[in-house]
Amino acid sequence: MTNLLLMAGVFLFSFVVGYFLISRIPTLLHTPLMSMTNAISAVTILGVLILFSVKSTATEQIIGAVAFIMAAFNLVGGFAITDRMLRLFKKKEKEALE
Amino acid sequence: MPETYSAMNLFLDFSVIGILILGIWLFRWPHRAKFGNLTAAFALTCAAALILYRSGTQYPYIVLLSLAVGSAAGYWVAKRITMIQIPAMVAFQHGAGGVAAFSLSLAELMRGTLHLGMINEISGLFGLAIGSLTFSGSMIAGGKLSGKLGQTPRILPKHTWLVMLNLACIIVLIIAALYAPAGSRIFLHIVIIFLSILFGILFSIRIGGADMPVLISFLNATAGLAAAFCGMIIENKLLISCGATVAASGSILTHVMCKAMNRSLFRVFVPVEKSPPKPAVDNEQNRVADPVEKETQHLPVEKNNFEKAVEIARKANKVIIVPGYGMAVAQAQFEVIDFSNEMLSMGKEVKFAIHPVAGRMPGHMNVLLAEAGVDYDMLEEMDIINPEFKETDFTLVIGACDVVNPAAIETDGSPISGMPILLTHESKHVVCCNLDDKPGYSGVENPLYKNSNTVMLLGDAKETVRKLVENLSESSSAPEESTGLDSLQDNKKSQADLAVTALSSAKKIIIIPGYGMALAQAQFKVAELASVLESMGTEVKFAIHPVAGRMPGHMNVLLAEAEVDYDKLCEMDVINPEFSQTDAVLVFGACDVVNPAAMDTQGTPISGMPILTAHDAKKVIVCNFDEKPGYSGVENTLYDNPKTIMLLGDAASTADDLLDALKA
Repeated sequence: MTNLLLMAGVFLFSFVVGYFLISRIPTLLHTPLMSMTNAISAVTILGVLILFSVKSTATEQIIGAVAFIMAAFNLVGGFAITDRMLRLFKKKEKEALE
Repeated sequence: MPETYSAMNLFLDFSVIGILILGIWLFRWPHRAKFGNLTAAFALTCAAALILYRSGTQYPYIVLLSLAVGSAAGYWVAKRITMIQIPAMVAFQHGAGGVAAFSLSLAELMRGTLHLGMINEISGLFGLAIGSLTFSGSMIAGGKLSGKLGQTPRILPKHTWLVMLNLACIIVLIIAALYAPAGSRIFLHIVIIFLSILFGILFSIRIGGADMPVLISFLNATAGLAAAFCGMIIENKLLISCGATVAASGSILTHVMCKAMNRSLFRVFVPVEKSPPKPAVDNEQNRVADPVEKETQHLPVEKNNFEKAVEIARKANKVIIVPGYGMAVAQAQFEVIDFSNEMLSMGKEVKFAIHPVAGRMPGHMNVLLAEAGVDYDMLEEMDIINPEFKETDFTLVIGACDVVNPAAIETDGSPISGMPILLTHESKHVVCCNLDDKPGYSGVENPLYKNSNTVMLLGDAKETVRKLVENLSESSSAPEESTGLDSLQDNKKSQADLAVTALSSAKKIIIIPGYGMALAQAQFKVAELASVLESMGTEVKFAIHPVAGRMPGHMNVLLAEAEVDYDKLCEMDVINPEFSQTDAVLVFGACDVVNPAAMDTQGTPISGMPILTAHDAKKVIVCNFDEKPGYSGVENTLYDNPKTIMLLGDAASTADDLLDALKA
């Protein structure tokens, strides 16, 4: 039961903190934001690592590998494309600001 | 595991979450966002390292190989795609996330039936369902956005009921899977995956066009939620936390998109029936009382069939379109809808008569026409429409034969005798756009083709209808403008001159980009135009409506690609007060987001939607493809404004023309 409460707490805390952080993000960056959060949702890759930390049956290994490939695709692809997008956002007076 | 969870471990977990939050926090400033993205990536790398350090791995080769394959593919695709493909790419990535989530849930459920608690098991089942629907929904969304699937919503008969039924089945199975004996659970799990995939397809196919941003944001949220549920199976705080953050982000984006379009999420997923202005019913009775006209309307014989057909179409008041399998074969449904829209815009009454067996499956024609964006109030069943043919001036048959064959009621003993047909032969004029005049599937000659009031336009239906539309729009616009084609072009030229004068004399210009700019790939030309104007000493800003384009922030990415300084990209609330002090507004491919009808009229789909108040500016130059209404279907009153200059055509070439003129 305490576990459930702890998990629900972590979920709520992250949701609320995420909500406040993200609602302040300018609409200018909504596409990169979505692309980055998409990459973050590939956090399931950690779940697969935990799955593989103990002995698994052959079926589990196959399903796990599928999940791993997809999550890695999502993770690397998501961060790479966000990076590419964000590099496009340029500002002329860059030096002035820094 | 709880025993080994020392304070140190807890501290490390929260540090990783902290780094991740820092990454998101940095997104508040455009110049720090790049660092924020890398910070978030770093946080996840740390998390993976932490897990490997803590528990090691039994299968280093599987891990390394999968990592190499997945990362290489992800990196390769990310480097290769162009900015116009971003929405589709993001959608496909959501799909990949969905697959990862449901596979992981499945693997955990398979392993854990012995030692998982109730909460973990419920989370696992939710992870399965949400992951699967994210996968299929994203694939449909990605297909639509990349143009592999039609952009228009597909509505199946009883669509809402199908969705509800599907959802109910999933819930029942989830409950069943909790109590089923361990051996049979795996079977239930797989059925849940399939049903959820079906569910994802069902709810996403009916969303299209300008509603895509809502769908893609929603899938963003579900991908996060699926990840959070995966975390709850294995009680991993990092997974739960990251998943919840993504879910929050997706929810915000969904909410922002809905608000900007003045729609509720429910209405996007369950669209309300569109009810177009229906022509008054008593008009029909007037027409019935005047049957003599039918006789007098003789057409000169020397005209060729095509001109005859155009003339019939122009004179008709009430039109019925009868589609058949031939339309499906020729893929002419889009042209047919163009035709119907053209007729509607000429003030005519248009209906579609759907024979129960037209096509190759029940409701085939309805599906095709729905694909082409028909308003389904216009689709009539046979029994309802048949009495109306008598009062109809013009029936257009497209690729239908047996279902309109009068021999079915006039002759005995043929294979189709007694078959109910659409009584097209009773209408005043019939135009048949069939491939040939051979009999249909039944093999019975169609006497309709020989009727004196039937005009045959043989050949490919797609081509025929397209030509019909072209001729109609020419002949309808010419008399209205009371000018020939030459003076029409002169008119266009003078509009361009006016635009150039307005631009070169302006001190402050605001540019409004829309999805049309993305379609025409005009962002580079627009950016060049902006810099030329700036070099002339003009102040130039861009006004970005929250839902311009197909995903949140779409326009910003495109303009950033064209190297526009992001300080010039202004949000709606910031820029709106500035329009009244602006000398000229340039609209590139935006319609609904600048439609003053949203503020001026009540009861339209866009009433109350926040818009960019371009109409407050001294001059408005609209560089749109055409002057048809946008996705909402509401006529744009801005176009009729006397201070508006319309430059129709491809936005990129319009921008090019303006550039040339300004440089000269």
